[in-house]
Amino acid sequence: MKETLEIINQMQADGVIGEYAIGGAVGATFYLAPAATVDLDIFVTLPGANGTSIASLSPLYEFLKSRGGKIQDEYIVVGDWPVQFLVPSDDLEREAVAEAIVTRVEGTDTKVMSAEHLMAIALKTGRPKDHNRILQFIDQVPYDPARLKDIVERHGLNAKWKKFQTKFLEE
Amino acid sequence: MSKPKLQKRLKSLSFSEKIKILEKLRDRDKAIAASGLRGKTSKGRGTKT
Repeated sequence: MKETLEIINQMQADGVIGEYAIGGAVGATFYLAPAATVDLDIFVTLPGANGTSIASLSPLYEFLKSRGGKIQDEYIVVGDWPVQFLVPSDDLEREAVAEAIVTRVEGTDTKVMSAEHLMAIALKTGRPKDHNRILQFIDQVPYDPARLKDIVERHGLNAKWKKFQTKFLEE
Repeated sequence: MSKPKLQKRLKSLSFSEKIKILEKLRDRDKAIAASGLRGKTSKGRGTKT
């Protein structure tokens, strides 16, 4: 992971990407007990994208391929991790990147999405594994319920949150 | 160690320590996939999370 993050940090320093944040299962592991995953989800903003996802990921892939990155299905292997680069597709994901938390992995600086943003994105995505992750957060309680409520309301996820609560949290 | 205690202990590890565990889990998953055992025993388990 250290090598993977160093390459991504270099890509940021070289201006190939703007801000980035770790999301998905690896991001959740910052807060929760580790659970198996095969890939690393990195949300990246792209220079010149002006808040849209229209800008191309091609420069990013060219940068990584020139440093030994290999395309593997929907991933590119960076260091020893298959990485899926995702351009934020809406205000929720852009906010999650902007408000990500600075941390360190094996001495290398990186950023991880907040617990509340990870939960909101999981709620929006809504697959069974996403619901399972939300339940893990609720069970292990490393999040701020008031902040989650605010994010859910501001990003139009109230109906999904109510449905989730009815399905999983009401006896 | 009980499951709740183990979970609490795992949760309290540093991010770096948790990543090491993730890497071991990932490598084990890859080894199982490469062996072809998954299709015979637990279809659908261990997929991308």
